Amino acid sequence: MVQLTLPKGSAPKKGKTWPKPQGATNLRQFKIYRYSPEEGGNPRWDTYWVDMDRAGTMILDVLFYIKNNVDPTLAFRRSCREGVCGSCAMNIAGQNTIACTKGFDELPGGVITIAPLPSQPVVKDLIPDLTSFYAQHAYVQPYLKTVTPDPEKEWKQSEEDREELNGLYECILCASCTTSCPSYWWNGDKYLGPAALLQAYRWLIDSRDEATGERLDDLEDPFKLYRCHTIMNCAQVCPKGLNPAKAIAKIKHMMVERVS
Amino acid sequence: MASHDFITPAKMARGLGSAKTGTETHIRQRVSAIALIFLVPWFVYSIIHAMGGDLAEAQAWAAKPWNAILLILTAGAAFFHMRIGMQVIIEDYIAKSGTKSALLILNSFACIALFVTVALSVLKIWIGAGA
Repeated sequence: MVQLTLPKGSAPKKGKTWPKPQGATNLRQFKIYRYSPEEGGNPRWDTYWVDMDRAGTMILDVLFYIKNNVDPTLAFRRSCREGVCGSCAMNIAGQNTIACTKGFDELPGGVITIAPLPSQPVVKDLIPDLTSFYAQHAYVQPYLKTVTPDPEKEWKQSEEDREELNGLYECILCASCTTSCPSYWWNGDKYLGPAALLQAYRWLIDSRDEATGERLDDLEDPFKLYRCHTIMNCAQVCPKGLNPAKAIAKIKHMMVERVS
Repeated sequence: MASHDFITPAKMARGLGSAKTGTETHIRQRVSAIALIFLVPWFVYSIIHAMGGDLAEAQAWAAKPWNAILLILTAGAAFFHMRIGMQVIIEDYIAKSGTKSALLILNSFACIALFVTVALSVLKIWIGAGA
């Protein structure tokens, strides 16, 4: 559903400007989205000055610097801090990515904005509610499905067939792609989104999986699959360098293949 | 309390289930696009060429069998493609069920009416020239 304006109470307002650190020579200004449901009211943009010489090298380090030295109430999600878990996905300088692998050297000039992933409800500050995203991932049944009785040891796969999964299995479900997709913004209740579809293709193409037809049946829908208009935001933002749009194109190709 | 508070995430993700359709539309959109890759350059070239002459010359050009056939094919592919494209845009941006249905019907009527108008106009010139 298209909403050209933010829902009531969602438009961020000007917030607090936190004091500059004393004696710092390499200062950088950050505007960070703040929202707390307990406090109520609209979200706000708080301004922080960060001593880049003391902050580390990645945006996640900046957030830790602020939390440890300036404002302990800032909430953000993180776990592995090395691009494996996907917990710290957020919108940095207008682009979705994971904070732990976004280096200072990649930042544009001027003030850097940090906001939660777009189009999802906000739990607090930089923490989005990804319940729907996970439910849509579950919809594609991301696990091996077979009708042949299980072999004694394991399901075997040739090296060539295993290579087909490269560029697909690496997805860490950070939701950067899905929440960067305008089609998902407008129809996120029906369109499965790039991450779920990339995973769907990962199982469609798996030589060991025997439910290919049923999987295609579950995807063949003007909204669940065909809402992808190849805008390519997903491939542009993926912090793991994957290409969900290509995977979706390949699903469409499989759909065409089975009717022609 | 919102009216959807107790709906589970799985219920939402599954929605009304898969419509088991969409592939035909996908193919039609691509095939009509392929046709237009050839037809549109021919059409644009012809129009630019015809701009140099008067009405009688333009009508004489349209009355030539191959030109008339290609004109009707161009209009057919274009309005067919346009109907699918407009349908996608309406589905993308209009969520309200009644408005969406009304616009989808209007889209079909408009595209068919435009095609019939163009096709009959070309036929009239073509047949009229032969009479």
